[in-house]
Amino acid sequence: MPWFLHLALRQLFPPGKRFPAFAMVSILGVALGVASLLVVQTVMNGFGEEHRLRIRESFGDCQVLAAGTIENPEALAKQLAAHPEVASATPYAEGPALARNADFSGIAQVRGIDPADPGQPARKYVYDGSFDDLDDGRIILGVGLARALRVRVGDRIEIWSPAMAERAEKGKAPLPAEFEVCAVIRTGFTEVDNAAALIPLRRFREIWNLGPRAHGLTLRLKQPALAEATAGRLAVGHPELRFRPWQDIKKDFLAAIRFEKTMLFFLMFIITLVASFSIGSTLFSAVIRRTREVGVLASLGAGRWQVVALFGLQGLLIGALGTFFGFVLTWTILAFRGVILDGINSFFGDGDMVANIYQFSKVPLHYDAADFVIAAAFTLLTTAIAGLVPALWAAGRKPSEAMRDA
Amino acid sequence: MPDVVLQARGLAKAFASPAGLLPVLTDVSLEIFAGESVSIRGSSGSGKTTLLQLLGGLDQPDAGEVRILGPGATLVAPRSSLGRGVGFVFQNYQLMPELTALENVALAARIAGVPAAAATAAARALLGQVGLGARLEHLPSKLSGGECQRVALARALVNRPSVILADEPTGNLDERTGAEIMDLLLGVVAERGAALVLVTHSREFAERASRRFVLSGGLLTPA
Repeated sequence: MPWFLHLALRQLFPPGKRFPAFAMVSILGVALGVASLLVVQTVMNGFGEEHRLRIRESFGDCQVLAAGTIENPEALAKQLAAHPEVASATPYAEGPALARNADFSGIAQVRGIDPADPGQPARKYVYDGSFDDLDDGRIILGVGLARALRVRVGDRIEIWSPAMAERAEKGKAPLPAEFEVCAVIRTGFTEVDNAAALIPLRRFREIWNLGPRAHGLTLRLKQPALAEATAGRLAVGHPELRFRPWQDIKKDFLAAIRFEKTMLFFLMFIITLVASFSIGSTLFSAVIRRTREVGVLASLGAGRWQVVALFGLQGLLIGALGTFFGFVLTWTILAFRGVILDGINSFFGDGDMVANIYQFSKVPLHYDAADFVIAAAFTLLTTAIAGLVPALWAAGRKPSEAMRDA
Repeated sequence: MPDVVLQARGLAKAFASPAGLLPVLTDVSLEIFAGESVSIRGSSGSGKTTLLQLLGGLDQPDAGEVRILGPGATLVAPRSSLGRGVGFVFQNYQLMPELTALENVALAARIAGVPAAAATAAARALLGQVGLGARLEHLPSKLSGGECQRVALARALVNRPSVILADEPTGNLDERTGAEIMDLLLGVVAERGAALVLVTHSREFAERASRRFVLSGGLLTPA
């Protein structure tokens, strides 16, 4: 071990001291900064991932659309399902309709789905009733729409589709379609929950006079993260179709999440920066206190860069240890996030905000190695600079002045 | 005739003060020979420490030059001799408070590029020689003033320098301990064949050197 590293360690952790205050407080400051940065980033990643998952589950990994309706959707679904990157392909149809329950009404975004499909994502979000009860006479509603219509599972509603207006124009009586509510879903997506109405595709075709046609296909991909590239490959040979990956469906929303994460990173990074500055200032006073020692080291033959290394390494060591303990603290806080959140909720009396607002059973997490690497790199850089500035000052002193002025 | 181990010619040094430049040394020349001891006395502020710092390369003279016996027995600029050609002993010991006695002495050798094991062995032997064989693992805060000065002496000698520059080495010690340190300093330095330049207030200790000088009015004159 080089002598300056040995001395740097001894100066940071003097022997015989149970609590080396300078080192401990500095390391704790960096650890708290790193932990704040990473806890926020990891939770933000978790929310982002959850939202991405819900986008995919609500809209599919990739939507296949045409300029008009798709004439033979079952055949196209079969063809696309055979592609090695596609897990499943299901036709769907959707359109707005007026939903009515006596004196209450609302605009429903009705979607025709295959009730027998075991992979239907809506199954996950049923919070009242049963998805398996869905048949030609039953409907599943989003929780917001159900509330607007004042209905519960077992109640009946009417659906008025635009196709019924066509019937009226032709002089026929425009009778509404009647459904019994068999389930209510809550996805956490306000725009879905406030408008979603799911009925069997066969029934949708009847009400909308679609015949065998569909409005599009929902694809589940084997690698959803690569949906954009996969969509490009699937589009080859299908110039009449448009393949819309999930990243495109909610582009602005996803961009907002990313921007939010970047801003939070910036804000949290300032905390780490403040910790590094406080290290710099503490290290500066330590260096001034040790000015005479700098002169002594010079009298022993220590070179300028060895003196720089001695004090610079102290900043770097604080940064490295602070980063390590910051990682440990991050893991600990996130492992006990439920307990911490319960404490916060009970203190402020707000109830379970995560469940109420986001419909998440617990605070979501997603560890991203890149965040840890970036946090470590930034912290080490700033603490190294914080240590380097006083180190350069110390090394720049003339030995005789250092010994005289101390 | 013994070799010259330190040569100073026409040294001058002045410091800035509110009243203008304050000359401390005006024209100091000195030659130190191998194995001899030289004492320099002078009143406070006469420039004794400044002269020692110029001789040891801790400061640069405004005029004149200093040369020290370096590797290959050639005279070189003192800055390159720091830690090897020249060893310092300071009035208030100047030990690293976080290092043990053994580590303090070994540090000087490590800085000079000696491998850790050899540096520790040399430090252990020297501390034994100055009577601190049982205090190797003690921190300076656990040692008496006399013991600290012994550690400082061992540190100055560990790289076998050709010159030891001692700045009031007994200034912080009581009379008896001071006398012990002087005995040790003169004995160990002579035993190792090094030259000693001793700056002191004490006429008694100065008298023990083989050559004696007085620094006054920026000039060095034989006592």
